[in-house]
Amino acid sequence: MALIAGVNVPDNRRLEVALTAIHGVGPKVSKQLINRIGLDHNPRVRELNEEDLARIRSAIDRSGVLIEGDLRRETQMNIRRLVDIQAYRGLRHRRGLPVRGQRTRTNSRTKRGRRATVAGKKRTAKH
Amino acid sequence: MSRSVKKGPHVDAKLMKKVVRAQKTGARAAIRTWARSSMMMPEMVGLTLAIHDGRRFVSVLVTENMVGHRLGEFAPTRLFRGHSSKSDRTG
Repeated sequence: MALIAGVNVPDNRRLEVALTAIHGVGPKVSKQLINRIGLDHNPRVRELNEEDLARIRSAIDRSGVLIEGDLRRETQMNIRRLVDIQAYRGLRHRRGLPVRGQRTRTNSRTKRGRRATVAGKKRTAKH
Repeated sequence: MSRSVKKGPHVDAKLMKKVVRAQKTGARAAIRTWARSSMMMPEMVGLTLAIHDGRRFVSVLVTENMVGHRLGEFAPTRLFRGHSSKSDRTG
């Protein structure tokens, strides 16, 4: 297992895919990084030598892309700001409901978590 | 789609006029407004706006990090007090 950007340890995947295991690195950033240091996208991470890994690490540092803890903190700060100024979006975050005007009569299960059955709902007659 | 930069931020002209006047005179009274779609401008920082929520005016003291949001974001139009409990309904 290779250690890149703190704790991230992808290994038996192609380099391009493996890097996306880092929070803040998706397919696009991954490709950009690899292109920038002129590595091949295809080799599995275990086939890379220490030198390649070192180049990847420094490329991430130099790219200025927010990654892992820094990125999470940034996101949290943004949410905290919305909550602190009592904006509508902040209220929705606080209640754990969708923030961008989606319906809540049904769906939005990702945000609201598992279904909580509300008892006492009148059963409609079957046709 | 986001707003064209060319147009600049949307602010109700009359509201802006009142804001500028309040700044000059240092008036502390809340400025009543219905312009919920107006953007919070840097000039409004420190002033108290009374934003209409459809029924009454919600007082909001504008702070620096509110700039760029719209007035309506700070005056919720709906009041949700929770769903009624089962005993409420059967009783």
